[in-house]
Amino acid sequence: MKRLLLLLACILLPDAAAQGHEQAKGEHAAQVTGPADDWVYPLAEPGTYALPEIGKAADFMLLDEDGTAISLSRLFSGRITLLAFVYTRCGDVCPMASAYMAQVRQLSGPAGLSDLLGMISLSFDPQHDTPARMREYAQGFRSDDPSLPPWRFLTARDATAIKPVLAAYGQPVSRKRDASSPSGPLSHLLRVFLIDAGGSIRNIYSADFLDPRLVINDVLTLRGQAQK
Amino acid sequence: MRENRKFNRSAGLLAIIAMGAFAGAATARADETCQSPYMAKIEGEEEFVYVWTLGVEGVGDGSDKIVTVDARKDSPTFGKVVDTDSVGGRHEAHHGGLTDDRRHYWVQGLDSSMIWIFDIATDPANPKLVKTIDNFVEASGGVAGPHGAYALPGRMLISGLSNKDRSGRTGLVEYTNDGEYIATHWMPTADDPQGAKNGEKADGYGYDARVLPRRNVMLTSSFTGLDNYMRDIGEVISDPESMKRFGSTMVLWDFHARKPRQVFEVPGTPLEIRWAWGEDHNYAFTTTALTSEIWLVHEDANGEWKAQSVGKIGDPAKIPLPVDISLSADDSTLIVDSFMDGMTRIYDVKDPFNPKLIHEEKIGSQVNMVSQSWDGKRLYYTSSLLANWDKKGDENEQFLKAYHWDGKSLTPRFEIDFLAEGLGRPHLMRFGSSELY
Repeated sequence: MKRLLLLLACILLPDAAAQGHEQAKGEHAAQVTGPADDWVYPLAEPGTYALPEIGKAADFMLLDEDGTAISLSRLFSGRITLLAFVYTRCGDVCPMASAYMAQVRQLSGPAGLSDLLGMISLSFDPQHDTPARMREYAQGFRSDDPSLPPWRFLTARDATAIKPVLAAYGQPVSRKRDASSPSGPLSHLLRVFLIDAGGSIRNIYSADFLDPRLVINDVLTLRGQAQK
Repeated sequence: MRENRKFNRSAGLLAIIAMGAFAGAATARADETCQSPYMAKIEGEEEFVYVWTLGVEGVGDGSDKIVTVDARKDSPTFGKVVDTDSVGGRHEAHHGGLTDDRRHYWVQGLDSSMIWIFDIATDPANPKLVKTIDNFVEASGGVAGPHGAYALPGRMLISGLSNKDRSGRTGLVEYTNDGEYIATHWMPTADDPQGAKNGEKADGYGYDARVLPRRNVMLTSSFTGLDNYMRDIGEVISDPESMKRFGSTMVLWDFHARKPRQVFEVPGTPLEIRWAWGEDHNYAFTTTALTSEIWLVHEDANGEWKAQSVGKIGDPAKIPLPVDISLSADDSTLIVDSFMDGMTRIYDVKDPFNPKLIHEEKIGSQVNMVSQSWDGKRLYYTSSLLANWDKKGDENEQFLKAYHWDGKSLTPRFEIDFLAEGLGRPHLMRFGSSELY
């Protein structure tokens, strides 16, 4: 429960992710906070395992928070990218995922990954999630610390534009029967993609495996492979 | 469409905190138990049961096929076959599984090592073949006999039974949901334990592979290779050398790293694996086919993983041959089918270390698979084990039988005679629903 409260703080307070992490460090002697109290498990050391290529990350033109068109391939180029599919009306999985993303971003600094990592949260609900709405949403998670990796909140022009993106990434989304559900009107499986600097997908995280420590280890593993 | 129960708990707590209202309560679900925790769940009752069926020469078209059965209780075709999709030829249809988004049903042939991918989302009443994988052995580097098909995020994990030399050394093979090969992870052996604790006992056999995400562990079990499972069972049993070539281990893996951590000695060929769903239930059940025991693999208070026998199934001296098992969604009951005596036995496993038999009933002359709805009220049984291991003559009943379970007794709902209907030998079942798409 304590960590869930920290996560809530991450959502409500822009800089809380860092604060939460520092508290966790104090409690666990440098062990990074996991997604929840009983999710902490031993992780393999970076570089001791393989992350085989799962496929190419497809390229699409999308809109950034200013409404400017931007291609995914440009954002992928030269960086290891964490790409999450979310929507801002989501009441459960998306804010939690965004809070974990904030933790990953905070941890990337001490891990020496700020210049290598890029982060993208992409809405699959463009009718509601306009560029302005994405900017507003970003403020709940993204601290202004310029030393941390870039984190862009993207959307698409409209529902027609997002459809091929979802198909290319295998991101299922459907409308719930109860559109007034407190958890949001859309059903989806959380998928977060780890994409290497060459544009290949190297891991796909579900809610169970979006552990910030694990993601950082994967990024370090990719960096080590690229340096060989 | 929701992720697993564990996730919903966390999400629900977050919602309670954030909104001061209970927003993430577990929705009543009627999906099948014992599926990958990464899969979307059906909310409401299953509408269709997809039965992967072995072809029988002289029965219908003689080919392996998916048989779609209407399970909608108010439908005019309730309990009837509404569609069949032959794949052409007999490949030893056996197991398969659904992708995490539940849009595709993968089914495999143990003999030919073929894999077929069916779209069950576009029209759940009418599955359509969308892709065939015919180079599994070559692509995987020698794994043969694709068995389980287990959903991972955006991927499928195929557990093999054999290899290109037809012996039992095998591996796990990963594909994208689109059917593109990703990687092969060979089972550890005594010669190549891959760093696993107790690795000198590793035998390299494979059967089931299942993940407990919140502990980052995967558990695998062990069977036998092509030379044994494609042979007449009478010949196998009477050949002492063949009987030596069965698995007697389970392996605990670091799932994220895909590396074996520990080998357990589980004599008698442990087959199906079922992880408990409970938030603090760090354990899994299996049963041993040749020694008729229930085993528990569990994490103790010190974080050590252990395997131990916790009970007998029927009279092991009579070799009832336990096959499929099903654990209820609340972890309270374990259903165990045994092939030779055609029995289903239901155990109270609220204390997983002390299973208590609460019901037993003969389903038919032979029985193999059992699938259970998420609410535990509806059970489906099929009869076939392997083409060359099924009983002969009048005892070769081939059926799908559906029951209602009220916690004390089984009440028949419908049954289909797969021989009389010209279908074949029914094996694996999976549930479908139009509510998902």
